[in-house]
Amino acid sequence: MCGIIGYVGDRGDTEVLEVLMDGLSGLEYRGYDSAGVAVANSSIAVRKREGDISALESALDGDDVDGTAGIGHTRWSTHGPPSDVNAHPHTDDDDRVAVVHNGIIENYQPLRDDLESRGYEFESETDTEVVPHLIADALADGCDRERAFRRAIDRLEGSYAIAAVFSGCETVYAARDSSPLVLGIGDDGHYLASDVPAFIEYTDRVIYLDDGEFATIEPDSVVVTDADGTVVDTSIETIEWDPEDAGKSGYDHYMLKEIHEQPTAIRQCLHERVVELEREIAVDSVASLSVPDRVQLVACGTSYHAALYGTRLLRERGVPATAFLASEYDVDAVPVDRETLVIGVTQSGETADTMTALREANSVGATTLAVTNVVGSSAARECDRAMYVRAGPEIGVAATKTFVSQQIALVVLASELTGEYDVDLVGALRDLPGQLQSVLDDSRARTVAEEYLDADAYFFIGRSYNAPVALEGALKMKEITYKHAEGFAAGELKHGPLALVTDRTPVFALVTEGANPTKTIGNVKEVETRGAPVVAVTDGCSDVERYADFVLEVPETHPALAPVLANVQLQLVSYWVANDLGRSIDKPRNLAKSVTVE
Amino acid sequence: MLPAATTPILECVLDELVEAGITDITVVVGYQRERVQSHFGPTYRNVPLSYVRQRTRLGTGHALRTVREAVDGSLLVVNGDQIVDRRIVGDVASAHRRTESIATLGLLHRRDVSDYGGILVDETELDDAGTVPVVELVERPRDDREYRLNAGVYALEPEIFDAIAESEPRTGEHSLVDAISYLVAESEESLPLVRGVESDGLWVDATYPWDLLEVATELIDSGRIGDADTPGTRAISPSASIHGSAVVREPVVVDDNCEIGPGAVVGPYACLGENVTVESGTVVERSVLDTDTRVRSNATVLECVAGQGVEIGAGSTIPGGPGDVRVGDRVFEDENLGALLADRARDDGDVTYAPGSVVGPNATVCAGATVRGTVAEATEVRS
Repeated sequence: MCGIIGYVGDRGDTEVLEVLMDGLSGLEYRGYDSAGVAVANSSIAVRKREGDISALESALDGDDVDGTAGIGHTRWSTHGPPSDVNAHPHTDDDDRVAVVHNGIIENYQPLRDDLESRGYEFESETDTEVVPHLIADALADGCDRERAFRRAIDRLEGSYAIAAVFSGCETVYAARDSSPLVLGIGDDGHYLASDVPAFIEYTDRVIYLDDGEFATIEPDSVVVTDADGTVVDTSIETIEWDPEDAGKSGYDHYMLKEIHEQPTAIRQCLHERVVELEREIAVDSVASLSVPDRVQLVACGTSYHAALYGTRLLRERGVPATAFLASEYDVDAVPVDRETLVIGVTQSGETADTMTALREANSVGATTLAVTNVVGSSAARECDRAMYVRAGPEIGVAATKTFVSQQIALVVLASELTGEYDVDLVGALRDLPGQLQSVLDDSRARTVAEEYLDADAYFFIGRSYNAPVALEGALKMKEITYKHAEGFAAGELKHGPLALVTDRTPVFALVTEGANPTKTIGNVKEVETRGAPVVAVTDGCSDVERYADFVLEVPETHPALAPVLANVQLQLVSYWVANDLGRSIDKPRNLAKSVTVE
Repeated sequence: MLPAATTPILECVLDELVEAGITDITVVVGYQRERVQSHFGPTYRNVPLSYVRQRTRLGTGHALRTVREAVDGSLLVVNGDQIVDRRIVGDVASAHRRTESIATLGLLHRRDVSDYGGILVDETELDDAGTVPVVELVERPRDDREYRLNAGVYALEPEIFDAIAESEPRTGEHSLVDAISYLVAESEESLPLVRGVESDGLWVDATYPWDLLEVATELIDSGRIGDADTPGTRAISPSASIHGSAVVREPVVVDDNCEIGPGAVVGPYACLGENVTVESGTVVERSVLDTDTRVRSNATVLECVAGQGVEIGAGSTIPGGPGDVRVGDRVFEDENLGALLADRARDDGDVTYAPGSVVGPNATVCAGATVRGTVAEATEVRS
């Protein structure tokens, strides 16, 4: 999915860029792995960058691009690396026209072959780039701009929403077929976009373009025509819904939507990496790595909790592995050498602390590996290897589906790296998406959340595989509810934190097969005798329900995968507590999705 | 989200709508709405989708009322569990634009309409738009008058909302058909408020889970799915792993990440949803197995409908229909159903299923048992 934006108007020259950039951030839910803008004046200024919109923003810093008409584009690629060159807008050889496009041009190859045979030079590998060259070709034949645009569009087969600007011209030309495009009618300019949120802060009056229609957008007019050039009667509609909701697919929050996308996230992460028939786990990007002497994982926040889980998986396979907080790595005098594999776990691939740690590791010759969600991100580029977790875009600031994908990626990675795994794990991985779905279908987390809404604090305990999930459960609770929450390896409780436990501090205990359930139950009894309510998250491997006030069930699975399912119950508890408290769930105060400062 | 072959029926419905040129779609969701919303997201094939929640299931008319706020002109209504050809959708939409009626219905010629909705029309009053006045709507007609089949495709004006409110609820439910009958009754002879347009094309109904076998067959036979030679139709996913000694008898649909073990025989008319496993020596024929279902080794699975995450144990036998299917008090005789296993039902192996058996969600059947009739949700059958 991609998003496009266009603007023509006289808000004052410096503001064209501002409108375009606002538009792109309103379209961020459609993807954000590369972005670009073009502004037309006597020439055309094109600025584009791979990376999210903030990367484009910093590239534009201090840039005095101005003009009256502009277009912009944001992209999320799932195949092939995003790059500056492949980012939109695309231009012709002489930079007379710039084009943004959402959709797929199916006949681009014959068009490209034809254009190249006639001397047109292509810079990118995109299907889109044929469009500016087709326009240039028509201009060369003496067509005026509008006729040239129409002639190019006529040649296209496939789906598209396309917008173009020309040098020395205050008009945006647009056309659509099978891809969304909506026009916005403002007091001081006109807009076009893939979706209304792109310009809703400027106007709520819109015209929906139909398939096969063209639009000519100028500062003081908008004309919609059909394929023959006949003017079409259009009606202006007023948007009454909250455009913020557009990308949420009917969910109240992106976070809940993303929690429910987790079965799909796991499927994508496992896709073609796990073959039960061959009893095989294989990851192309790390296939030829030899078993390292030692492994260091560096990460921050939620990714750090995934890293802790990853170290546990590596250590049980005989590899000395340690997780480090990325922000402490370079100052902590960590011994690292050429025989060390350093794995950076970062959702965005841009986290400044993690990047610093990885660069440190690179500088001493360690082998580096990025485990990230963003194709072509800084981490993916700068590390020796990159393994993608394939969770898809995540908008909610509190990481949910990307954590699950990181967990799964690390299971697969630890198995591939060492070759040590049993057939039960392979089968259990394939059953996991369906089991996670059943947790989502049947969870009683909302009831638990309502019961303990006014708690003084929330504590989370677990051992072994579950200890990182206890930390993550607490972090999620802090992030979105603003309530005090702490997670502990269960054995640590009695070494201090137990002093905080009262009858107003519910304790969430993670009790699953293979994660030391008997000892964790011992800790449950400690808090129970102090009057604390106990919520057990369990697969039924023990009699913990005897000591618990509530039980949140997860299906039985391979012991190493139980924390993946248990974590989902904790996500849901945090979500419902935050929801019932009326918190700003998708954008918690003081927090940002991708932390690019140290 | 029941599967038509291997994709949700609703996806087939949306495909036909998009192909018919519909550009704005509202989906009324209720039970397990999260699954629907997560599957389709905010757009489908570049057409924006919005979701409206029906909190209580009080009939089709009630479902339609939930979208009242989202609608400010003519609307087209289809059922989420009926696959209707794009031609029918197109015919109804274009006929409606050319009439003054409040409701325009799609009509089909079918020999037997007794299981569905029957419509009587006045053929003498054919107008320029090709529509005829609707005289009467009869659910499951038993008499032999000349009924058309109600295709379940309705083009409507906003007045329908008043008609829903005005028509009498039956057993607490507001049905869209009753509201349309109300409009028929309110019509003056000179100005019929409800008209029908004859159309033709694929029409498959999936009221009952065992209808899914027929749905799959129809979709495969109409070339919409499972045709390896036609690009764009799903047949065998490149990410499926099929052992060299397994036999695949086309037509089949094998979705992403499926695994088929050595010596297994799959097809004809076998539809394996995403991530389905068929272990060694197992035979699967004329069956629809939904996402994540696992059939252990040396089982025989004929005319079986299995939900998501079902496990059919090693050596179990589902010998195929016909059989009588019991659901509550009703008995459906001689249905072509070997067995129906609902989501996450499981058998431990060497289980024999009598034709027409139904196993409820999360039920477990112990090794060696024989299943007849209906096994209730989350119960255990011992041998």
